[in-house]
This record gives sequence, C-alpha cells and structure tokens, in this order.
Amino acid sequence: MGNGGPMLLLRMMLAEIVHRKGNFLSALIAVTTAAAICVGVITVCDASRRETVRLMRDMGFNLLIVPEGTDMTDFWSRSFAEGEMPEEYVRRLADSGLMTVQHLVARLQKRITWQGRDVLLTGILPEMQMTGGPVKAPMGLDIPRGSAYLGRRVADSAGLGVGDEIELLGRRLRVATVLEEQGSIDDIRVYAHLHDVQEMLDRPGRINEIEALQCLCGSKQSLGSIRDDVRSVLPGVEVTEMRSIAIARAETRRMVERFNGVLVPAVVLMATIWVGLAAMRNVNDRRVEIGVLRALGVASQPIAALFLAKMMLIGLIGAVVGWAVGTALAVHYGTAIFPITAKGIAPIYALLGWAAVGAALLCLVASWLPAMSAVMQDPAEVLSEE
Amino acid sequence: MIVLDGVSKVYHGADGEVRALDDVSLTVAPGEFVAVRGPSGCGKSTLLLTVGGMVRPTAGTMSIDGSDLYALGPARRARLRAERIGFVFQLFHLIPYLNALDNVLAPALAGMHSDRSEAAALLERLGMGERMHHRPPELSTGERQRVALARALIKRPEIILADEPTGNLDPENAAAVTGYLADFHRDGGTILVVSHDDLAAENADRTLHLERGRVV
Repeated sequence: MGNGGPMLLLRMMLAEIVHRKGNFLSALIAVTTAAAICVGVITVCDASRRETVRLMRDMGFNLLIVPEGTDMTDFWSRSFAEGEMPEEYVRRLADSGLMTVQHLVARLQKRITWQGRDVLLTGILPEMQMTGGPVKAPMGLDIPRGSAYLGRRVADSAGLGVGDEIELLGRRLRVATVLEEQGSIDDIRVYAHLHDVQEMLDRPGRINEIEALQCLCGSKQSLGSIRDDVRSVLPGVEVTEMRSIAIARAETRRMVERFNGVLVPAVVLMATIWVGLAAMRNVNDRRVEIGVLRALGVASQPIAALFLAKMMLIGLIGAVVGWAVGTALAVHYGTAIFPITAKGIAPIYALLGWAAVGAALLCLVASWLPAMSAVMQDPAEVLSEE
Repeated sequence: MIVLDGVSKVYHGADGEVRALDDVSLTVAPGEFVAVRGPSGCGKSTLLLTVGGMVRPTAGTMSIDGSDLYALGPARRARLRAERIGFVFQLFHLIPYLNALDNVLAPALAGMHSDRSEAAALLERLGMGERMHHRPPELSTGERQRVALARALIKRPEIILADEPTGNLDPENAAAVTGYLADFHRDGGTILVVSHDDLAAENADRTLHLERGRVV
C-alpha cells in the first residue's frame, strides 16, 4: 500500500462499521454471547473445582492404606488395623512420584486401658507431601514430641485441660490441645507423635496405617487403578476408599464439566457459524465496492485485510464485553446455581486474555472463507451487472 | 499503445452462448481520444473491461505498449491497472461510506502515491472544493461523477477508460465532465470512452461503432 494506505484502510474499516451498524452488531452479539457463556461457565467451574478441593480437605482423608492381610471386617469393628507395616512405607510412597495420592500421614494405633478408661492411643507422624509435587497446605495433626492431644470425652471424663501433664504407659506427656467433640471414635483418642507412641508401645519403626487423600487433579481415577498404583510401590498392602460427600460432590462436578464439555464447543461452533454468515452477508453487501477496488488495481491482500481486520476488531470488543458480562453473570447468578461455590466465584482476569485470543481466532476462522470469496470475486461480473 | 488483435469474448449464460466481442481488432495510439458508440448490449462495456485487464478474452490478444495484458499474472495485471489506467463508470461506483476526499484517495490502497492536499486540490479544480467532506449520498449525480473522475485522475494515469461517464448527468454536468476528459486528452492522455451522447464523439479524435460485438 502507498503512503496513507494503512490509515485509509483504518478509516474505511471504521466508516464501514458505522455505515453498516446492523451487520457489525449482529457479529458482535454472536462473539459477545459466546465469550460470555464460555467465561461464565469457566468461572463457575473453576470456583466449583476449588470449592470441591476445599471440601475434600475439610472432610479429611479418604484413602486408607493398611497392611497386607488386614481383615476389613475386623478393621471397621476396631477402627484400626491389627497388623503392622514398616514406617518407611510412607517415605517410599512419598518418593514414588504417584499422581493419584497426596497428603500422606502414617499412624500407629492401639486400644489401651488408661485410668480405668478404654482409650485409643494414636501416634501420628506429621504429614509427608509427595516429593517433587506442588507444596500444599498440610492436613492432619502436627503433634510435637512430648505432647498429647486429647479427644473431648477422654479429657472431660479425666478432668484434664490444656497444660496438664499425664502419664501414659510410663511416659509423661503434656496436654497441648483438647479437641472439639466429634461424635465419633475420635472422642476417645489420645493423640501423640508417632515416635513417642512407637516407644510407648515398644514398636519402633512400625505403623499400622497410612491415611491419604485421593487426588482430584486429573481425570477420574477408579479405586481399582489407585489400588494398582499404590501396590506397585507397596506390594501387598490393602487400599480402601472412604466415600464421602466430598467425593459425591466431585462426581457432580465432573458431570457438570462433562456437560460443559458439550456446551462450550457447541456455543463456539454456533458463534463461528453466526459470525461467518454475518461476514458473508457483509461481503455480499460490498460486492460493488470490492469490484471497484479491483478496478482501481487494489491487490488481494488489502481487500482481505478490510474484512479480516474488521472481524478481528469485533473479536476483541466481543471478548472484552463478553468477559465482563460472563463474569458478572457468574458472580451474580452462579451462587444461585451452585450455592456451595458461592464464596469461590470471583473474576478470573487471566480469562480476559484468553477470551481476546479465542474470540479473535474465532472471528478470523469464521470470516476466512468470506474474505477469500471477496478476493476471488470477479470484478467485471459485478461491474457489468451494475 | 493499446492493441486488440482478434479479440473475442463469449459468455455462457442460462440462455445459451452470448458473443459479446467478435474478432475485434483495434489500435489506439498514445494520446488518442477514441469514442465507442453502439446500441445497448453491443459489447461496449465488455470492450472497456477487456482493455482494462478485467475480462479475459476467449480468443485473441490485448496488449498495452507491447505487453500482452493477459499473459501477466493477476498481481502484475492489477499493478499495471493501478499505475496506468483510470476507470470512470456510468454509475460512479463511489464507496458510499467514505467522503469525497477519501474516495479520491482510494487508489492509495493499490499502492499508489496519495496526498490529501493533492486530492483536495484536484477536487477544487473540478469544482468540488465545498463538497469534499460530504459522502456520496449527500452529493448530486454530477458531483458524484466529478469525484469519480478525480479518483481516476489522482494517480495520473496514461489511459482513462470511461463507460458512459455522462449517461446519468444533465447537459450542464455532462458538458463539464466531457470538458475535463478533453483537458486530460490535451495533456497527452489516452481516452477510450463508451458513450451514447454526441459530446464525447465531438471531442474524440475518432469514433468507432460497435454492433453485435463487431466493429463496423
């Protein structure tokens, strides 16, 4: 193009938009709608995912790894495994690089009688995270050596509080915490550091279970595949899943994601067709103009640029407006659709960039054929018709 | 020099074959003003578009200064059209959403030198000084044709191909436009004009008659 050509191209594009507002608005509505739906869905789903992870954490561990040969019927009646396995197993699992489990906690438990009471002595090793994986907020209890955490019923029945000292199996421990009432067997537990409990029970280097959290980061893992994964590292161990509301919720989220996996492509496809039709109508409306430009000797590139640049502009404006609308709708109405994720729904600013790139690409793809048809148009035919 | 040698153009339509040009041989010398007359549908517009490199003949050759136009690729043909040929149409074919000044500058998209002040001066010279910021729908037919003429002249072409340039104008505007074409001719430009009216023929060096696609 000659000097002033690019500026003239820009003036032509803007003047044409003003001249044919309907065509511009039609394509803009399509892009804005598509961007708004995609941004809204992704914003809500992202909040749902984070909330599910939080729920999972709040619900506690949901995988239990116990020694080979553990009778699960006995396990559920006792609430702990009778057999033992090496403490080193938890380190081996942490170093295994498995993606399906995380937040590993080794425990050694024994039901004992203390001051005439039936208590469950529970030794806990501070959580071990997967080596090389992302650092996550630790779960479980982190009990210092020489300290005890008491279940509510044990503390109340023995009249103990924080700061008191107790003697247990010949060892003195200071009560660091009295736990909230759980309404479960946890209320009769006395927790201490794993290594203290190992010494008290004379079981050095032994544990009888590893608690873990099933990872939700990948595609859905069946218990069978997780069991195979863990057994590939720790042959013979039993792996059992403690199903919870959080897992049910994770499944609901996966169902929503599957639905969105259809909805988002369908919306994008419809928007592409809509924009393509608008671009084609624009080319038809401008047949004479294209013919005249060709008669003036204008090459294919500036003519294609006239259409493609306009569509790119529509894509960028549609992305910004669509992001704002989609985010506002997700924040405003998402809480009604997904009440449990209400707190988590917040604008995702990174989506603005992705929306801009995606919408511009959508417009480019949709208007490519119409632009090419404009370039291929026979100017003589149009000018002769006129 | 424009040379058509045995040029024929056949269209295949729903009603069968139409021979728009039939073995036309013609030479237009540099600086010559040639008027082409003939009844509607005799092939006048096809002749102009063929000379302008926009309609490939079915047979024969068409050359400008010895260069066979249709042996060139589309890009080089477009380039030649941009640099050497100006078109003026009966229906003006201005871009409706651009003002007169930007319409005159449109050849800049073809890579031609363009200067707003030069375009404005040209419009002034054609009596459009007061109207250059108006868009085509706001202009009279005579004014539109002057803008179209300015768009053809801005790139200082060697050849102007005009298709019924006065066909939609009142006598006063027709005379003015013919006068501008005559000025271009006096300055050494070559003109091939298709026209029904006598004005063009009066100013032309020679007049050709076309009937059923043949020069008679």
